[in-house]
Amino acid sequence: MKKETEHKPGKKYGMVIDLDKCTGCGSCMAACMAENNVPCKDDESNKLSSITWIRVYRLTNRKPFPETEICYLPRPCMHCGGVGDQGHSPCVSVCPATATDYDHGTGIVSQIYTRCFGCRYCMAACPYHARYFNWWDPVWPGDLKKTLSPNVSPRMRGVVEKCSFCFHRYQLAMEKAYVEGRRDLEEGEYQTACTQACPSGAITFGDLDNPDHAVAKMKEHPNAFRLLERLQTNPKVYYISSREWVRRAGDNYLKNEPTNSKPRAAAHHG
Amino acid sequence: MKIDRRSFLALGLGAAAGTAFTPLPWKLTDDASIWTQNWRWLPLPEDGDVTYETTACTLCPGGCGIRVRKVKDRIVKIEGLPEHPVNQGGICALGISGTQILYGGSRVTSPMRRSGDRGKNEWTRITWDEALAEVKAQINALVDADKADTIACITGSDRGTVPLLFKRLLAVLGSPNFMTTATMEDSYRAVFRKMHGLKGPVDVRFDFENTGFVLSFGSGLIEGWGSPLRMIRAANVWKANKTPMIQVEQRLSNTAAFSGGLLAVNPGTEADLALGLCHAIISGNLHQAGSVSGFAEFANLLKQKYSVDTVATKTGLKATAIVDLARKFANPASRSVAVCGRGKGTTAGSMREFMAVHALNILAGRVNAPGGVFAVPAPDDIAWAGDTVMTSAISGKTRIDEAGTGAYTLADSLLNRIPSGIVEKGESSIGLLFVSEANPVYTLSGTKNVRKAFKKIPYIVSFATCLDDTTAYADLILPNHSYLERYQDVPVRAGLSKPLVNLTKPVSAPVYDTQNVGDTVISIAKSLEGSVAEAFPWENYEDCLAKTLGGRWETLKEKGFVEGEANPVALGNVILPSEMPDIPAISGDGNLPLILLPKDSMRLWGDAVADPPFALKIVPDTELKGTETVVEVSPKTAVAQGLEDGKEAVLTTTLKSVTVKVAVSDGIMDGVVAIPRGLGRSSAEKYLDDKGVNVCELMEPQEDKVSGFDAVIGTRASLKRA
Amino acid sequence: MSTSNHEADSLAPGEAPDRKQGAPGGVIVLFFIVGFALSMAFGWLVFPKLLYSEKNQPFDFNHKIHMDLVDSGCESCHVFREDGTYAGVPTLAQCADCHQDVQGESKDEEVFVNEYVANEKEVPWLIYSRQPDCVFFSHAAHVKMAEMECKECHGDIGESESLKVYRENRITGYSQDIWGENIAGIRKNTWDGMKMTDCGKCHEERMGSKGPCFQCHK
Repeated sequence: MKKETEHKPGKKYGMVIDLDKCTGCGSCMAACMAENNVPCKDDESNKLSSITWIRVYRLTNRKPFPETEICYLPRPCMHCGGVGDQGHSPCVSVCPATATDYDHGTGIVSQIYTRCFGCRYCMAACPYHARYFNWWDPVWPGDLKKTLSPNVSPRMRGVVEKCSFCFHRYQLAMEKAYVEGRRDLEEGEYQTACTQACPSGAITFGDLDNPDHAVAKMKEHPNAFRLLERLQTNPKVYYISSREWVRRAGDNYLKNEPTNSKPRAAAHHG
Repeated sequence: MKIDRRSFLALGLGAAAGTAFTPLPWKLTDDASIWTQNWRWLPLPEDGDVTYETTACTLCPGGCGIRVRKVKDRIVKIEGLPEHPVNQGGICALGISGTQILYGGSRVTSPMRRSGDRGKNEWTRITWDEALAEVKAQINALVDADKADTIACITGSDRGTVPLLFKRLLAVLGSPNFMTTATMEDSYRAVFRKMHGLKGPVDVRFDFENTGFVLSFGSGLIEGWGSPLRMIRAANVWKANKTPMIQVEQRLSNTAAFSGGLLAVNPGTEADLALGLCHAIISGNLHQAGSVSGFAEFANLLKQKYSVDTVATKTGLKATAIVDLARKFANPASRSVAVCGRGKGTTAGSMREFMAVHALNILAGRVNAPGGVFAVPAPDDIAWAGDTVMTSAISGKTRIDEAGTGAYTLADSLLNRIPSGIVEKGESSIGLLFVSEANPVYTLSGTKNVRKAFKKIPYIVSFATCLDDTTAYADLILPNHSYLERYQDVPVRAGLSKPLVNLTKPVSAPVYDTQNVGDTVISIAKSLEGSVAEAFPWENYEDCLAKTLGGRWETLKEKGFVEGEANPVALGNVILPSEMPDIPAISGDGNLPLILLPKDSMRLWGDAVADPPFALKIVPDTELKGTETVVEVSPKTAVAQGLEDGKEAVLTTTLKSVTVKVAVSDGIMDGVVAIPRGLGRSSAEKYLDDKGVNVCELMEPQEDKVSGFDAVIGTRASLKRA
Repeated sequence: MSTSNHEADSLAPGEAPDRKQGAPGGVIVLFFIVGFALSMAFGWLVFPKLLYSEKNQPFDFNHKIHMDLVDSGCESCHVFREDGTYAGVPTLAQCADCHQDVQGESKDEEVFVNEYVANEKEVPWLIYSRQPDCVFFSHAAHVKMAEMECKECHGDIGESESLKVYRENRITGYSQDIWGENIAGIRKNTWDGMKMTDCGKCHEERMGSKGPCFQCHK
């Protein structure tokens, strides 16, 4: 505990997703799978066992046609920092194998597949369903093996996996910086695969604490919100929507409770 | 010394104690735990030099630039090309999945001869020499029998050197039967011919980047209409600028959801709404003056049959809403544009709808106006010696599909008329068929008839990259490289505001024993010798490209694309119709209670290219569940038909009865059943094979009386609990 | 050996066992010691031999000769790629720059030129320091940023005149150099082992903490 509070100030990588721009095309999901060696099973229509690190949810306002409205909501791992960004993410707190930890240098929640023994406590703990279990060994039949990227380790049966904010891209960007004698990255040098692929430009990625990065400003937008903010998980993924019903769908509001787009206590904690 | 059991126990204990003082247990534990972490049957991706190479995507007509990430010689990922004008770095799920086409299980890995019955996709590998000799023999047999004009060719596009090489081969052999699969662009071209008297090839372009008001009649502007990436970017500009986007549709498609301006009209009354808006514009005296013939007759027609009130009743909208919309649309400050072409625009659609929507654009002065719709001359930058001679030699001959003649002057090719023609006659008018970059057995409506017709064609040569529904009917496959393994110029139409030519490059060495289709056509022609060979004076396809493209070849090789300028065609006199063609938009048996409408999903591709595994994986379970298509109905329809969410039901049209699953959704009109396009393929790829039903099997084709294209946009159906 | 007390193992029913008649304590201790010694010998001497299989490199390589010929030390051949990643063992193309034809008199070079260069076949080197797939090791961070010597982890390989036998752990499939030559895992030099604990130890000493998981994992 002591060690965690003594960390030196680092980056806080995060995402702002503009739901007004999202078309629901699913490009982010495909880009993520191609980037991260996520395999495909013969039948992926059982969505409970279908591994998609970022998943696009379809929300509706539940009004009858034609007043119905749909909002598509992409959900990567939220890389929760917990109260005051102490690193007490729901998943990290429960992992008995130290297979997932919180990196105070980047704010990224890791997942080490070789360390994981598949108890799935983290899946139960994650309020965002961002974690997936490998019920089967991955299969890349025939020449499909040639599509595998050496930057991300393929996972075996029996372990949990999740979005890493394409951490290997950070590793590679840092390598490049090091040979150039730098220790810092430009905003564009480290971007996730989904950010890059999005045809709408709906996803913005960067250091939430760096005022020069776009995300730092965007997260202050009056329509910005986070999912289940009142659980104080302190997620690093922000959403923007001009529609109030969407913002309300982001948390469990009581019927007459006003939409409060700002967290109650968490923000002042750290 | 006495030795007994205890001695041995002591020995054992000693051994155990001793072992504890050796590294053995600790080392073994460590090694065993490492062993459990590394399962040897898991593939380990090989590391190596990483390079990026740029090329273009051809999986849809959208014309995006891509870059591939290679590790040594493997392509591990496809990304959008940031400097490309169409997608500017973005990319769709299909484009990303391209690696799974390159290395996928449905690739044709060598030339093959059919060994099973037609429709079975069973093959014997043969050599290229054998395959080419076989094609040569087939062509020569027809030439000797004076039936060379029964040689036909179906391609996915009529632009660029590859389709034109096919066209030239046919022409020099004396056959005019070069056909392409019809899309909404062909209907747009037909409407410009009909209502502006234009002749010859014109392209239709949309100045969406400068549009101030979008009225879409069922076009899936977000789903992939025209160029998907360009449209998504344009739509985001509209949203940022608060440009109104009105979507006329029966369900909350992605476009409707994104626009926030759904206008739900009764199915099949889109054309009526457009005409009602025309009436409102004319009666409000809001129309733009111009050189128009037949205005009085058109106005009279509207007054008689399409008055705002009549249309309000027919469409289910309020008359005031129609008048209000007309007023906004016709306001010159709006810079509005009306678009049609259902879904992704991969089908031709009804001319009634196209004419009505075009009339609306004409009245509002939105044709050849900034932010509106443009007719531009199709580029004629591919000119080969002897073209004119060959064209005049075949111009006297009648095409099998009768396109361009008699009642069908508006269309360049009418592939949809071929199956019915063959089935009615009982014999094939085609003697030899080439199919390249098209999948007509899958994409033509009335699949049963299409299959019957293809069975009757004596000999079919496919130039496919992957096995599909059409290769299943071929006798011979001369496999093409995938788009990542070959050079090909790809002129992009897709309604872009500027002409664009992309070049695909061989960013991967050929993975299998395949050949660029351009080279294959040239070597077929050369093998025929005489005048045919002379018409193909190039050493190989790359030589042809270099000589044809001239100065642009180097630019294309370096940059990957060349953009041109669009200069609108002078339109001259506008001819407004005095009568609207009477084609029911909904085919089938009127006694069936529901209307079945195909839906173009954002994650399912219904055209020639099938969903690769990544694209298929993200298809929602409200479109495909297990091996069954999921159809969408409203809660009221579900109750009325006794259906339950997630349960099976039997979907019946005049053509077929299939078992589907039901998804009850708030986002759809009562009485309508929406069925996703793109399923029910036999792609010889384990991921997609035999999943769901092909919409075309259920849809009875409906020949458009004006254009000759297949006009069907929906069909009557029943949906009953299984 | 005496067998007079063999009845002790087969007592008649109802007869109480007579402990006094069993093997004397000395014998038991002796057996204990023998067992202890045998298992110690097995654990320390035989087990390491059994645990590893020995493999020879395709042909021998003299680092020293090459080091004398090049200007920039190890990095002359073990290069960083432009993107900052480390290429590891040189590729055939790199070697073929000089070794298009046989240059010296060594048999090994002959094998290399005739079997590999001539056939454009990459040499299937056995890599002593190959890490598991889940490990991300940044040479740039260590060599470029922290300015560490190659030697600190790889030892004096640059001065070696021949390649040592590659010993592969039969259970894990990894090179012996990861665990280290000392079966007990005792390290004298910084290059004696390449396990996570070795990384962690050094990081703790120099960086103040082992660092987060993702620092070295992928």
